[in-house]
Amino acid sequence: MAQTLAHRKKNAAALLLSVPLVVFALVFVAYPLASGIATAFTSKSLLDPTEAFNGVDNFVSIFAKPAFLNAAGFTALFAAVVVACEMVLGFGLALLFDRKFPGKKLFFTLTLLPIMIAPALLGIMFRLLLNEDIGAIPALLQSVGLSVSLFSPSSVIPLLVVLDILQWTPFTFLIIYAGLQSFPRELLEASSVDGAHFFRQLWHIVLPVLKPVLFAAFFLRAIDAIRTFDVIYVLTAGGPGTTTTTLSIYIYKVAFEQGDFGKAAAASLVVLICLLPFVPFIVKRIASTGMEGK
Amino acid sequence: MLSKKIGAIGALLVSATMLAGCAGGGSNGDDGDGTGTVKMVAWPGPEGDAMKKVVDAYNAGQGKEDDITVDLVLLSRQDTFSKETALMSSKSSEVDIYWTASYNVGQFSPSLEPLDDIDTSNYFPVATEGLTYNDKLYALPLDVSNHFLLYRQDLIDGLLNDPAAVEEYKAISADVLGEEREPADPQEWDLDDFKAMSAYFSTSTNPDSPTQYGTILQAKNLLYNTMIWNDVLWGYGGNWAEDGTATLDSEEGKKAVQLYADIYTNKWTSPDSAQAEFPETQAALQSGNVAFAMQWSAAFAALNDPEQSPDVAGKIAIAPVPGGQTHVHALSVSLNKYSKNKAAAKTLLSYLATTDAMTAYAEAGGIPAMPDVLSANESLNPAFGKVSESISDYGYSEPVFPKTFQAYSAIAEALSGAWVGQTPVDEAVKNANESLQELLD
Repeated sequence: MAQTLAHRKKNAAALLLSVPLVVFALVFVAYPLASGIATAFTSKSLLDPTEAFNGVDNFVSIFAKPAFLNAAGFTALFAAVVVACEMVLGFGLALLFDRKFPGKKLFFTLTLLPIMIAPALLGIMFRLLLNEDIGAIPALLQSVGLSVSLFSPSSVIPLLVVLDILQWTPFTFLIIYAGLQSFPRELLEASSVDGAHFFRQLWHIVLPVLKPVLFAAFFLRAIDAIRTFDVIYVLTAGGPGTTTTTLSIYIYKVAFEQGDFGKAAAASLVVLICLLPFVPFIVKRIASTGMEGK
Repeated sequence: MLSKKIGAIGALLVSATMLAGCAGGGSNGDDGDGTGTVKMVAWPGPEGDAMKKVVDAYNAGQGKEDDITVDLVLLSRQDTFSKETALMSSKSSEVDIYWTASYNVGQFSPSLEPLDDIDTSNYFPVATEGLTYNDKLYALPLDVSNHFLLYRQDLIDGLLNDPAAVEEYKAISADVLGEEREPADPQEWDLDDFKAMSAYFSTSTNPDSPTQYGTILQAKNLLYNTMIWNDVLWGYGGNWAEDGTATLDSEEGKKAVQLYADIYTNKWTSPDSAQAEFPETQAALQSGNVAFAMQWSAAFAALNDPEQSPDVAGKIAIAPVPGGQTHVHALSVSLNKYSKNKAAAKTLLSYLATTDAMTAYAEAGGIPAMPDVLSANESLNPAFGKVSESISDYGYSEPVFPKTFQAYSAIAEALSGAWVGQTPVDEAVKNANESLQELLD
C-alpha cells in the first residue's frame, strides 16, 4: 500500500514537472504547427482574410510554376556545398587548435567572431565592403591591379558561398573542437606505440570516435543552411531573376510580397515533409554512441 | 504504452487545433470618443524623421487643443510593410494609423478605412489618384517620390564644348544607334541619347572617357527597381496593361528590356549593377565613376552637399528622365479599419492634410505631395521646384489594382535576369506578361 502511494506521488511529481514542457510544446510547437497546417488548406491572404477552405489548391499552385522547384534546387545545392566546406574546414581548424601554440586564445576568439554577428548585419557589412565604388575590398584589389565585380551574375553565387563559409565555419569548428577536448588521448598514444601515423590515426580512431559530434555539427548546419535567408536576401534579394532564391526567400516573398499566406504555409509544409524523414536517420547517428552500452 | 503515447499526441494536436480555432477574429474597430492616444507607424529615414518632428510639434500644440497624443513608432525600413502585413492579417487594432504607399494601398485596402471625408484639394491630383482604389481614397499622401536624370554638368559641358569630343560622340552614336547624333543637352534627351551617352562615357567603348561607366542601372531583383524601369517602358510609349490585358510583351516592353540589356552587356554600367539599388547608385555618382543615372528625387540634395559628396558636390545637375516620363508614388498614411480610436485618428489625419502640417514636414526634410508647399519652400531644397514641375507635367502612376504591389515584385523577378543579359529578352517579357496577367485577372 505504502509502495503504491509512493509510486503515485512519484507519478504526480513527474506530471507536475512536465507541465512547463507540455505548455511550451503546445504554445510554441503544436499551435504554430497546427495553425500553419490549417492555413495551408485555406485561401488566406491580405485580399481574402476569410480563410476559406480551398483543399489542395495551394499545393497545386506551388508546383504549377518552376519557381518553387528552382528555389528547392538552389537551396539543396547551396546547402550541400557550404555544409561540406564548413565541415572540412571546421574539422581542420579543430585539429589545428587542438595543440598548443603562441596566441592560441587570441586566435580562438578571433575565429569565433563571425558567428557572433547577426547574419543580416553581415550582409549589410559586405554590401558596403564589396561595393565597387566605395568598398574597401575592391579598392584594395584595384591597388594591386586586380579588378573584380563580385556582384555580377557569374560571381554572385560563389560570393554567397564564401560568405556563408566565412560566417559558419567557426560554428562547426566550435562543436568539433569541443568533441576533441573529450577525446580519450590514450587511444592515440597506444596507436602511436603500435606505429600508426597521423592520417591512419585520423581515419581509424579520431573520425569514428567523433562520429556523433560530426553528425551533430552536420545536422545543425544542414538545417540552418537549408533555412538560409538573411545574407542572401540583403545582398541579392534572390536575383538576378530567381538565380539565388532560396526556399526561405521564396516563402517570405509569397507571404509578404504576394500576401498569399495560404500558399506560403503550403510551401512551408512541403519543405517540412521533405525534411522530416532525414531527422530520425540523423538523430540515430548522433545518439548512437550515447545509446551504446545502455 | 503505445496507446498512451498515441493518446497523448492526439490530445496535443486536438488542443493545438482548438487553440488555432480560437485565434483571429477581431471586430471592425471603434470610433472612440475622438480623444486619447493615436498610435502611428512610420519607417526610419528621412520621411520618418520628418514625420517625427511634425508629430512632436502636433503633440506640443494642436494636439493639446484636440486632446490627442500621437505615439509614433518607427519600425525597420526594410520590414515595415511585412510587419504591417502580419498585423493586418490578424485584424489587429494595435496600430491606429498605418504607413502605406501607392504601390500597396490596393492590397491593404481590405484592412483600411476609406478617407473620403477629408479635404485633399491641396495635393497633387496624381498622388491622390495613386491612393484611390475602387473610387475610394484609402490613404493621404505624405512624401512624394519620382525620378530624375542626375548628371555631371561639368562632363556634359566638356563634351558639348569640345569639337573633337563631339566628333567622337557622333561616331559612337552612329555605331550604337545606327544613326549619327549630335550630343544634346540632358534636358532634351530621349532614350536613344541616354544609350549613346552611356556608351560615350564608358571606357569599354571610349577609352578616353573621363568616367569608367556612363551610367549605373538599378537592376537588382527589387520592386522599387521596377518603378525605374517603368520610366523606360512608359518613355517608349508602353504600359503594363490595356483594358485589363497585360501588355508587357509589346514591342515597347521588349525595347525597354533590351535597352537595359544592351547597356549592361556592353559594360556601359558596372557588372555589379546587377545588384544595385538606390544606395549603390548614390555611391557610383558620389565616387565620380559614372556620368549620370536615373535616380530617385530624394538623392539630389545629398549629391550636392559638400559634406556628403565632397568629390561631386556642385557638379551634379538635374533633368527629366530621358523619354519624358516619371513614375510617381507617394508614401502615405492610412486609417486601420480595426482601430479602436478612429475618430481621434481621423482628426490627426485631417491635420496632416493641411498646408501648415506639410510645410512643417518640408522644413523637417520631407518632400510633401503639395505643389503650393513645394513652390513656397524652394529655399529648403533646390529640387522642390523640379519635383513640382515634373510631377505636374509628366508624372504618371501605374494602374492601381488589388495586386499592384505583387505586380512590381513579379515584374522585377521575371525581368531582372534579362536586364543583365542572363535571360533572353523574349522569354523574360513573356514570363513577366503571364505573371502580370494572372495578377490582373
